[in-house]
Amino acid sequence: MTNAWRAAGLTYIQYSNIAARVLRDALRADLRAEAAKRNETHVKFTPWVNGRPAPRQAESA
Amino acid sequence: MMMQRTTLLLPMAVEATNVAQQQRGMATLKHISMRLKSVKNIQKITQSMKMVSAAKYSRAERDLKAARPYGIGAQQFFEKTELQADGATEPKKLLIAVTSDRGLCGAVHTGVARLIRGELQKDDTNTMVFCVGDKSRAILSRLYGKNILMVANEVGRLPPTFLDASKIAHEVLTAGYDYTEGKIVYNQFKSVVSYKCSTLPIYSGPTVEKSEKLSVYDSLDSDVVKSYLEFSLASLIFYTMKEGACSEQSSRMTAMDNASKNAGEMIEKLTLTFNRTRQAVITRELIEIISGAAALT
Repeated sequence: MTNAWRAAGLTYIQYSNIAARVLRDALRADLRAEAAKRNETHVKFTPWVNGRPAPRQAESA
Repeated sequence: MMMQRTTLLLPMAVEATNVAQQQRGMATLKHISMRLKSVKNIQKITQSMKMVSAAKYSRAERDLKAARPYGIGAQQFFEKTELQADGATEPKKLLIAVTSDRGLCGAVHTGVARLIRGELQKDDTNTMVFCVGDKSRAILSRLYGKNILMVANEVGRLPPTFLDASKIAHEVLTAGYDYTEGKIVYNQFKSVVSYKCSTLPIYSGPTVEKSEKLSVYDSLDSDVVKSYLEFSLASLIFYTMKEGACSEQSSRMTAMDNASKNAGEMIEKLTLTFNRTRQAVITRELIEIISGAAALT
C-alpha cells in the first residue's frame, strides 16, 4: 500500500502540513486570523560540511 | 631661622598636594556620577527585560501545557514497543541540540552544549549534531565543528510553532544522514526556578521494524511505521522546543532579576562613594577658605 503523496516524494510531515494549511484556509474569517498565526515559520537552515557552513547546492521547493 | 623655613615650606607643599587632590577629587566626582548614571541605565534595561521575559514566560508555560501531550504520546510508542538501539557494528548517531538564538538567560544553552560535548568527547566518530538555535552552534563549532550536520537559526524570537518543528524534522530526515539512533538534547522545564537538561531517544525506521514487541500494535506495515516515525519526530521536536523555550524564559527571568539586584547593589555603593567624595571636596574647600582668611589677619 503506497500512498499517492508518498509516491510524489512527500514525507508525512509535508503531507500533514499541507492538509493543515488547507483546513486553516477553510476556517471562518474570524477564526482564520488566529489560525494563520500558527501557520508561519521563520526558521532558516544552513548545512555544515567539515566544520564550515556550506551553501545549499539545490534549493528544494 | 630653621623654624621659619619649615613653616614657610609646609603650606606650600600642602597647597601643591591640595591642588592635585582637588583636581583629582573633582575628576573622580564626575567619573563617579557618570558611572552611576550608566549603572542606573543598565538596571533599567535589565528590569524591563525581566518584565518582558516574565510576560513571555507565562505564555510559554501555557503553550507548554498544551504541547505536553505531543511529547508524552510520542514517547509512549517507544516505551510500549520497548525499543532498544540495536547493537549495530557501526551505529550512526544523531544528536539534536534544542536551543535558541538568544542569550542573556543563564546557563540554559551551555547545559545543552555541555551534554553534547560530553557525548562527543567519548566518541566523536559517526556522530553528527543538528543544532537548533545559534547558541549551541556558537559553543560547539569551536571544538566540534566537523560534527555539525546542520544549523537552524531564527529560533526563539517568537514562540515555536508546530510548523517550525515540522520543518526541522523534515530537514533532519532529508539531510542525507541515515542515523541509526539519535537523541534530542533539550532543557526540561521543572518549575519557574529549575530546569533539567535531558535527552529523548529517537529511532530510525529499520530499528523500529526489528523490534519484537511491535506486534502489540495491530496492522502495521512499513509504510505506516515510516509515516508515524516522521510525525513522531516532528511532535517530539515540537515538544522539546516548547520545553526549551519555557525553560529559557524562566531562566532569563531569574538572570535578569539577579542582574537588577546586582546593579542595585552597585548603585548603592556608588552613591555612597559619590556623597562621600562630594563631602570631602566641600570640606577641603572650606578649610582652604578658612585658612586663607586666617592667614590674612
